[in-house]
Amino acid sequence: MKLKCAAACVLAMLILVAAVIVAAPGASYANQDRESLLAPASTRHPAGTDALGRDRLVRVSAALLLSLAGSVAASAVTTAAAAGVGALAAFGPATVGWTAMLLCDVFLALPWLFLLMMVRSALPLTTSPANSAAITFLVLAALGWPACARAVYRGALSLKTTEWMLYARAGGLRGGQIVRSVIPNLVPLLLPQFLISIPAFVMAEANLGALGLGVGEPLPSWGGMLLELDNSAMLFDTRWVYFPVALLVIVLLLLEAVAGEA
Amino acid sequence: MRRLTAVACVLALLVAACAKLCAAQAAPRMPGELAWTIGYDPKTFDPAKVDDQESELVRYLTAGVLLRFNRFTQKIDPQLAESWNLSPDGKTITFKLRPGLQFSDGSSLTAKDAAWSIRHVLLPATGAPVAEEFLSPAGVTVATPDARTVVVHLPQRVIGIGKVFDEIAIEPADRPSEGRLTSGPFVVADYRRSQYVRLRPNPHYARRDATGSVLPYARGIRLDILENTEQEIRLFERGEYDVMDSLPPDYFELLKKKAPASVRDLGPSLNTEQMWFNQSPQAPLPAWEKSWFQSRAFRVAVSQAIHRADLARIAYLGHATPAYTFISPANSAWYDSKINAPHTDVAAAKAALAGAGFHLSGGMLEDAAGHPVKFSILTNAGNAARLKMATLIQQDLAALGMQVTVVPLDFPALIERLMHTQDYEACLLGLENVDPDPNAMMNIWLSNSPNHQWNPSEKMPATSWEAQIDLAMNRQASSFNDTERKQAVDRVQQIVADEQPFIYLVYPNVLVAISPRLKGVQPAVLEPSLVWNIESLHLEGVR
Repeated sequence: MKLKCAAACVLAMLILVAAVIVAAPGASYANQDRESLLAPASTRHPAGTDALGRDRLVRVSAALLLSLAGSVAASAVTTAAAAGVGALAAFGPATVGWTAMLLCDVFLALPWLFLLMMVRSALPLTTSPANSAAITFLVLAALGWPACARAVYRGALSLKTTEWMLYARAGGLRGGQIVRSVIPNLVPLLLPQFLISIPAFVMAEANLGALGLGVGEPLPSWGGMLLELDNSAMLFDTRWVYFPVALLVIVLLLLEAVAGEA
Repeated sequence: MRRLTAVACVLALLVAACAKLCAAQAAPRMPGELAWTIGYDPKTFDPAKVDDQESELVRYLTAGVLLRFNRFTQKIDPQLAESWNLSPDGKTITFKLRPGLQFSDGSSLTAKDAAWSIRHVLLPATGAPVAEEFLSPAGVTVATPDARTVVVHLPQRVIGIGKVFDEIAIEPADRPSEGRLTSGPFVVADYRRSQYVRLRPNPHYARRDATGSVLPYARGIRLDILENTEQEIRLFERGEYDVMDSLPPDYFELLKKKAPASVRDLGPSLNTEQMWFNQSPQAPLPAWEKSWFQSRAFRVAVSQAIHRADLARIAYLGHATPAYTFISPANSAWYDSKINAPHTDVAAAKAALAGAGFHLSGGMLEDAAGHPVKFSILTNAGNAARLKMATLIQQDLAALGMQVTVVPLDFPALIERLMHTQDYEACLLGLENVDPDPNAMMNIWLSNSPNHQWNPSEKMPATSWEAQIDLAMNRQASSFNDTERKQAVDRVQQIVADEQPFIYLVYPNVLVAISPRLKGVQPAVLEPSLVWNIESLHLEGVR
């Protein structure tokens, strides 16, 4: 519990610091300082600049906020969808339950990377970077719910056979009333699912970005910045190129710590 | 116990990794042998069927040809032919072979072998890509009046016919050997798939140096098949390789820090990087966008807003040259320094847009009807330099109030949009030019060509300036006079500079590394840039 609190505090501090950096007057993740390419750390650019002269600290901070905001939103959508499908499958007629779980299996079997590539290619070309980020996380959410729904389904099934549930049904509670009683009892299951999904989505977005399929330029993303590591020649120019990956690992560890304790 | 097992597993993995690393090292070099890398296995050693870059290199190193296109002087040199002659109508070529020519097995090379080799590449059954360059290969006849004379008659004139014979290896008649029996400087000696191709010198090679010494000097060549640039650099530094060509700018800079004496920037290549707007009337774009892209003022303003010097300095780390036309300064015969092209001038760009009815509204550029100027630039995902250029252009055009989205797409998706659906607004890509003669670009400039990218396959030229380009390109293709051809190409360059259907950005420079131990190198911008004079190359002290 102590670890969870400490991790949550550090994470909150990181988010706060990132928000302050991004909101600071004059800070811009897109502005190119063409005379300071791959510059080392300085008072003007505390974490140096990237190959286009953009402030690395501002970009990493913006990527952190974007990634976390998108992942939390995607995780919320996923958890809500999983709660609905799982509860429906467990408490609905057997055919509905069977069909819902089949749907889950189909979704789990989908080659999600190719699906994402198809979706990215099908997007209107003038989709703004912000919209492309929103769509990326939405697609991730649409593909992320089945595993969670299976877990909810299992939990809801075990609730269905509990003694109080038998009494409730014997007492004449209707379907809607039963679900309303069940949802609060599923919260201990849904919360970890919600928390576990956040780092998974952060990683998924970073993976997509590293493949050039995520958030569009000039909006910063973890994946886009990790792409720099693909070029070993650049690693000799500046050690600050490791900064995004170092922060990503820290954030993932903190998120895992929070989710693990839950 | 569990910990011990884990340690054992890690050790086993390390040993396996080391074994793999050792296996990937270069094969031992023989004394006096030159070595460098090729990116993949040559698809064929049959010189008639060459269709890929690495097979072409092996053919270059092994094949004896009647005429050689000199990569340094960019002129035709006779090789197996002692002399050659083109008739005034351009349809009959007569070659006189050098006396006493032999193949690598010591057998005589006569006009019969040369005629057989030419007929062999012309046969449809051979499937030789070079046959297409004769325009009507079925109508070509080859005669051998005597043992040293070959007469080739063409049904129609072919521009730059001399260069075509640079691609026809002379093989023993009826005994094709896939590079193991040649009349060139080297012979294929050994090939191990995914490892290396080894060449040995042809002991009966006809050419001698100025002092009469036997050529080639090198005692062999080993071409290691290796795709990894980092590993190639490491092995080059250790002296395992003698040359590296086509270095990416960042790796060039890295090597420059480690071995400054070995790297060379040869200046602009023949290749161009350019962007263009989709002007096709069939494109599924709103009418107002089409009208922007078809507007000369709009295209010129975009061209004037782009800081090409920044593109060269940032995206290519200074190893590119700002481009304003499709002929690079490296193309000495065809480059025209007098072309008047729009240079960077943001104020002029704003004025030109204002003159065309565009205006700023809240920082955003709008056309006369109030449509905000927003468009996307496609480029291929995975090309870091192009992505950087597109992002720089995004900021340059923001200064005009244009909102640009950069969209990197995988290549198949990109080609689908360019060639089939035409569902795109602007595109940033490059063009690799292997032939300095602009006639090779006919398929890009003629308005009815499917590769006329900004408006493909026009039934009739859509604009008067496209009609003028058609006229000038056809004039250079049909003219017998080199000066007239040059004037026609200069005219096309000027029209393109005026109308900006392609907005040329940079010519990437040719970046190479040469071992200080390698002697006789005369770098050229044309491929194979470092080994074009392979006969004269040798390691220091070994000759």
